[in-house]
Amino acid sequence: MKSLITIRQGSAANWALRLAVTAIVVLVVLWVPRQGGGLITTTIEALTLMSAAMALNLVLGYAGQISIGHSAFLGVGAYTTGIMVSRWGLSPWVTFPVAFVIAFVVGVIVSFPASRIKGVYLALVTLALGLVFPYLLTWKKLAWLTGGGAGLPNADSEVATTGFDIGLAKKGKMQFFEVFGWDPFGDLRKPEAKAAFWYWIALVVAVVVYVVCRGIVKSRVGRSLVAIRDNETAAAVMGVDLVRTKALVFGVSAGLCALPGCVIAIKTGGVSPEGILSLTVRGAITFLIVMVIGGAGSLWGPVLGALLYTFVTDKTGEWADDAAIPGVLRPIFSWAQIPPADGMFAILLIVLMFVAPHGIAGTWRQYSHRVVRIVPRPAGAVGSAPTAAPSGPH
Amino acid sequence: MEDFLQRLVDGLSYGSVYALIALGLVIIYRGTGHLNFAQGEMALFSTYCVYQFGEWGIPVWIALVLGMGVGFAVGAVSEVALVRPISKKSPFAVFVVTLGLFTFLNWLDGAIWGGQQLPSSAMGSTQLRFPSLFPAEADALWNVFGVAIRQERVGILAMVLVISGLLYLLFNRTTFGLAMRAVASNTESAKLVGIRTNVVLMVSWGLAAAIGTVGGVVMAGLNSNVNLGLMFTVFIYGSAAATLGGFDSPGGAVVGGLIIGVVENMAAGYVQDWIGQEMKLAVAFLVILGVLLVRPSGLFGTAKVERV
Repeated sequence: MKSLITIRQGSAANWALRLAVTAIVVLVVLWVPRQGGGLITTTIEALTLMSAAMALNLVLGYAGQISIGHSAFLGVGAYTTGIMVSRWGLSPWVTFPVAFVIAFVVGVIVSFPASRIKGVYLALVTLALGLVFPYLLTWKKLAWLTGGGAGLPNADSEVATTGFDIGLAKKGKMQFFEVFGWDPFGDLRKPEAKAAFWYWIALVVAVVVYVVCRGIVKSRVGRSLVAIRDNETAAAVMGVDLVRTKALVFGVSAGLCALPGCVIAIKTGGVSPEGILSLTVRGAITFLIVMVIGGAGSLWGPVLGALLYTFVTDKTGEWADDAAIPGVLRPIFSWAQIPPADGMFAILLIVLMFVAPHGIAGTWRQYSHRVVRIVPRPAGAVGSAPTAAPSGPH
Repeated sequence: MEDFLQRLVDGLSYGSVYALIALGLVIIYRGTGHLNFAQGEMALFSTYCVYQFGEWGIPVWIALVLGMGVGFAVGAVSEVALVRPISKKSPFAVFVVTLGLFTFLNWLDGAIWGGQQLPSSAMGSTQLRFPSLFPAEADALWNVFGVAIRQERVGILAMVLVISGLLYLLFNRTTFGLAMRAVASNTESAKLVGIRTNVVLMVSWGLAAAIGTVGGVVMAGLNSNVNLGLMFTVFIYGSAAATLGGFDSPGGAVVGGLIIGVVENMAAGYVQDWIGQEMKLAVAFLVILGVLLVRPSGLFGTAKVERV
């Protein structure tokens, strides 16, 4: 297939392209907090959702282990932050590494049955885990820790509006966020400053999750994950330690999934089993839908899926009310009593499975070379320009 | 003693619902080897239909039969239009499609009937509670050894046993049942001897969803209303029942369902401190986990031999 533009890897055009893409991403990232209001809230949701979906992608997209219980790991993160800040008055910053470690241990424990239980049975076990988790939080034997059905509201009424905002859990402390005398947000009790502050936390978490996922995927471990997914027996024969690799990937995935949980707890300002939808099994199903639509087994897939999901859900959120539906679409959606997003994504999910099982990212990978093809540098030709441009599809 | 009998009867009637869901799972698993994650939501859709028929003034038993018809159609169409074509791709694709069906059906129920509990007077329902198949009034009691047993509970258990008996006859005494067993044991060979496997699979899915409808209606009757979250936990209990009984054993599904129902009610009743109402679901979780780890074929299933 002839492509429109052919770019050689490492050439000036290739660098220009990379620079342009990076510049666009950076500009959008900087532009969003300036808009404030609804856009920033939606973006924070998208960032937490994509972090969770990226974490799930490690286990499901790369290692091929079906999990519908990742909401429980997110819940571990949310409750770690909730308990440490509101019960013990610690700084929310400390809770991120602690949440990672606790969820890592939980993930490793979950991986042991996963090394014996396969395929849809594992899906069943993890679904049951996801359904049991919210009940576990309301369990009266754990109420001294989790606060039972009521969860952990903010103890301080002044704090109630600001949530677990950094340090505000302790009255009067750290209403400002300062790094070496640089104060980018101003008074954190103001709503705009607060929103911008949450946005940057969510963004940093998403970037960290992405970088860790990328590091794993591009490493030896990542290749053994794909080997396990494609043929477990063959992988074992080739020398992949199944139990240890699965334990590692479940642990890391769970730990990463806990981080957006911390962000949600900080943003919501209190944790309860019903208050955070993402820690119920519906959350886990959403992560899975987002990941599959974006593209399972691709680094950018969950990012695209989460952006699409959050913005469509946000745009159509009011559509239960017929007057809110744009004129052209009104006859199609006016009969529905609840917003159409869930149904639309369910249909999209099923249709994609038929026509493009690798999601948006996979489809892009499949067809993008018709427009732009980046020809990799021939092996061994470091520094010297290749004599003839290779032709034909790679 | 009185507590014990009460809990036994309660457990058996909830267990009956789990048995019905488990039966549906087993019928589908035997035919195609798939675990149908949408089983509970298919049942929920037709349960909502039964509510709607009730609103139109149709007596509950006729509404149930009509609802089973709707369920049959939903199951059969899902198999023909979605599951059969996708199963050529990969087991993961089938899993995603059943999960998509799960989400879609749950959304559809909400889109048609709204997110609140039904019947609800605010929504203009004429029925006061979800119709019960058996007398459910407070004074509809039988006296057994001095213990008051609600007739509704006994009726449910009897109905499930009758359904199981009919299914036994269908599987073992009819030509169609023979065809179903042939497909379950070896689809390729069944095709070669002239069995129309497509029809058999379609009917299996339809039958599973129709049986699920009975489960949904009984559950909504016990719950006295129907809502969008009704079948989430029931599905997990049903899966636990199918796992315990063995995924390819219909008899095991019924026994498994009744055992799970009794065990969870006894556990919630007698170990109130530790389990109580809120941790009942953990019993199902532990059963699934334990059985899959220790004896993956369940109590009555046949062990699968994997060829490398």
